[in-house]
Amino acid sequence: MSSSSSSSSSPPCPKKMITLKSSDGETFEIEEIAALQSKTLENMIDENCASTPIPLPNVKGKILAKVVEFCTKHAEAGADAETLRAWDAEFVGVEHAIVFDYILAANFLEIPTLLDLACESVAEMIKGKTPDEIRKFFNINNAFSPEEEEDVRRQNQWAFE
Amino acid sequence: MEESGATMRKWEDLDTDILVQIFQTFDIFELTSGIAHVCSAWRMACCDPLLWKTLDLSALESNFIRIPLEPYVYVHCQSDKEVTRLLKIALDLSRGSIQTLIFHFNLYLSDEQLTYTAERCPLVKRIVMPAWNRIKKTGICRAINMWPHLESMTMPSIANPPYLLEEISKNCKNFSKLKIMGPFDIFFASSLVLYIPKLKVLSLRCSVIFKDALITILDKLQDLEVLNISHCILIEACPSPLLKRVVKEIDPFIMDKANRLREFLVCMNDSCVMCQRARSDEGLMRWYKYEKGLWKSDEARSLAL
Repeated sequence: MSSSSSSSSSPPCPKKMITLKSSDGETFEIEEIAALQSKTLENMIDENCASTPIPLPNVKGKILAKVVEFCTKHAEAGADAETLRAWDAEFVGVEHAIVFDYILAANFLEIPTLLDLACESVAEMIKGKTPDEIRKFFNINNAFSPEEEEDVRRQNQWAFE
Repeated sequence: MEESGATMRKWEDLDTDILVQIFQTFDIFELTSGIAHVCSAWRMACCDPLLWKTLDLSALESNFIRIPLEPYVYVHCQSDKEVTRLLKIALDLSRGSIQTLIFHFNLYLSDEQLTYTAERCPLVKRIVMPAWNRIKKTGICRAINMWPHLESMTMPSIANPPYLLEEISKNCKNFSKLKIMGPFDIFFASSLVLYIPKLKVLSLRCSVIFKDALITILDKLQDLEVLNISHCILIEACPSPLLKRVVKEIDPFIMDKANRLREFLVCMNDSCVMCQRARSDEGLMRWYKYEKGLWKSDEARSLAL
């Protein structure tokens, strides 16, 4: 997975553990091979910054634990696609506030698989809802400028102007 | 720290890129159903050019009935209004980014709808519009005039091609790919040679082609690279008593001429399902009878959907 060009690089040792530290001080161990799912972590490992616990000030312990779980699962050899899909579905079958946190974490840590999964699940939550329902569901404040309100009103006219 | 409810998460503050990624899985109906009306930030994400490279309306059909007089279809008023509404919202969000326009063979756009669309898609490179019943010559010419970057068109067969091809030759300097979903005769062939001599890709699949037309394009479209006549009914004019007969196989004379092409796509096989269908539909494929989306295929890859 990693294509390090430094002469001292060696293939990732499966049992080599990296330590991550969440914003609220919790530490988590993750196999190096699983950590490589994150481009951010991959870069740090490549640059040999991974000997001490890596501080991740943007990720809370509760979420980091799940991210570690996700990466570990996806690094497993021999998992068949269908089982993994089912596992993924369960993983994101949580409150949307948590999925939001997954998105932020996956974005910060650059984990494309997790970001894709979380975004897809949000898309499913959005589909079929009216704007009002979406706002209520996600607790979004509807702040449009007067020009934008006018746009919206115009678009709901049936006939050409 | 408890995570109850969505009160702690600011969905409207998500990175635009992430919102765009979420919206990328939406089809045109979902994109225009109101997510742009949720809040300012979501509206901005909905307008991202990444979402609007292609406007694919191929899941939308007119609610219509066939009538015996021109334009041979009558589209119910409500259906027209819905198409208009969808177009308005989509074109507004797209902010001129659209490069490919796709319409269903049963979507009968009016002149007005076409003009409205063309005005808002100045960067269009490819148009797939199989149904021109309600579009007048002036309408299609007006649209072509607004598409200087047009490269590829999928169209029905028309009786009087010169006006159209001349307009394309005047306005669309990069035009190189054409798919005609209907009969192809010597008049069409000669018009192509006259106005679009640099045509590179031509697909005439599943239609009626006249042999003299085929020979004309093989002889005279010098830049032609790909020609698709798969599942076509090839007709040759004969001396009386028969006025014309169906050619059962491509003779060496034609194969020879076609040798210079990069791809000469032919299928004339009694056991081929598509060939059988073309034959039973007498060269005017009734796509509505067959698998959904079948009309989109093309052996010429650049003209497939």
